Amino acid sequence: MNKFLKKKISIICFVFIPIIFLWHPSWLGFLGIQPYWPLFWLLPMSMIHGSIKGLIFGLFLGLILDSVTLESNFTQIPGLILCGIWFGRIKIYADSLVGHFRYGLICSFGSFLCGTLYFLQILFKNFSDSSLLFFIPSVQNIIAQVFLTGFFAPLICSQLLKFFKYSREKTSIINFEKN
Amino acid sequence: MLDIRRISTSRWWHKKKNWMLFSIFLFLVFVRISKGSIYKDFYFFISRPFWPGQFQKEVILESLDQESSIKLNLLKKDNIRLRKMLYLQESSTSDNISAAVISRKTGSWWRQIILNKGSKDGVEIGSTVIGPGGLLGRVRSTSFFTSSVILLTSPDSKLGVWVDRIQTNGLLIGSGDDYPKLILYSKSADIKVGDFVSSSPASTLLPPNIPIGIVQSVDEPFKAKKTAKILLLAKPQVIDWVQILKSKN
Repeated sequence: MNKFLKKKISIICFVFIPIIFLWHPSWLGFLGIQPYWPLFWLLPMSMIHGSIKGLIFGLFLGLILDSVTLESNFTQIPGLILCGIWFGRIKIYADSLVGHFRYGLICSFGSFLCGTLYFLQILFKNFSDSSLLFFIPSVQNIIAQVFLTGFFAPLICSQLLKFFKYSREKTSIINFEKN
Repeated sequence: MLDIRRISTSRWWHKKKNWMLFSIFLFLVFVRISKGSIYKDFYFFISRPFWPGQFQKEVILESLDQESSIKLNLLKKDNIRLRKMLYLQESSTSDNISAAVISRKTGSWWRQIILNKGSKDGVEIGSTVIGPGGLLGRVRSTSFFTSSVILLTSPDSKLGVWVDRIQTNGLLIGSGDDYPKLILYSKSADIKVGDFVSSSPASTLLPPNIPIGIVQSVDEPFKAKKTAKILLLAKPQVIDWVQILKSKN
């Protein structure tokens, strides 16, 4: 069981993303806004597996998150796909201290990208109504989300990256033994 | 000599009584000039022990409650009778389902709550959800055990509403913050801060006259439209129990 958990930790984390997205712990929020949770999983996974898999992970995450949110007119898929591709091109550095800060900056920028793409969809959809109405709250949402994502990313991403790397090494050793 | 002494003692300023009268006169002039403020303040202090107590206040409030409930019942009966005459949709409270909020996303763009009652309990898509204070939103999707409610604050939410004071319909759209925006498609609409907004009597999606919110601020007219910021009466951030009104469709 323990071996299974270690091996499949990335899948278990993937299953928990929509749950934490729905749970919405208010004590972790700022101005009622939460960090953009999917990026914490997407960054280490894409860094380990590369751009193509990053694109696929982004697509999967977008699909599952779109299904738990009710906004049928807007989607999170484009932002997550772009982040997946971009994160896949980032190399893992040996210096963990620099890595910590990099995760924060990268996730902040990813959150900004996803937030902006989502906001553009809202603007486009409500273009006929007063689009200016959406501007101030949306900018506030984006800024708060960027701040929180960047704040939590160094802690969460570095831990997840460590777990995922470990589980991948274990899997590759097992496969090598089988061959 | 004697005569002179008698005259001097008979001068008016030598009499104490006259000085007293003069003092009272001056005081009354002062009271008049100050518009009775000293007098009123004095009355405030001396009447304090005789003010109505807590018990009397409760009795009056209870009477007022009874009066309000009687008036409300009469108005409800009138409303039902008139709606029948006009063949309008009826508002009913007999088909309510109580549900607990099990997930709450009230920040960022995704503004929704998930309730612990689903299709097995008879919740249907499109049902209206109300909480203490008024309207919260509508059921957008149901599963067997849960139902998801899109809140009025969500950017995906658009509802027809009624501004009672100016007898005008408007469109309430969520803007991604806690204050949805009301759009009135008339530049001359006389909307004011404090106006009460409820569900539209002409709406086919919602029961009529459900309280929604109060106008918090009014923006400058723009392109033949007037917009206002609405303060919702029901606060989805803190509500734990809601009522689902079954859909009439």
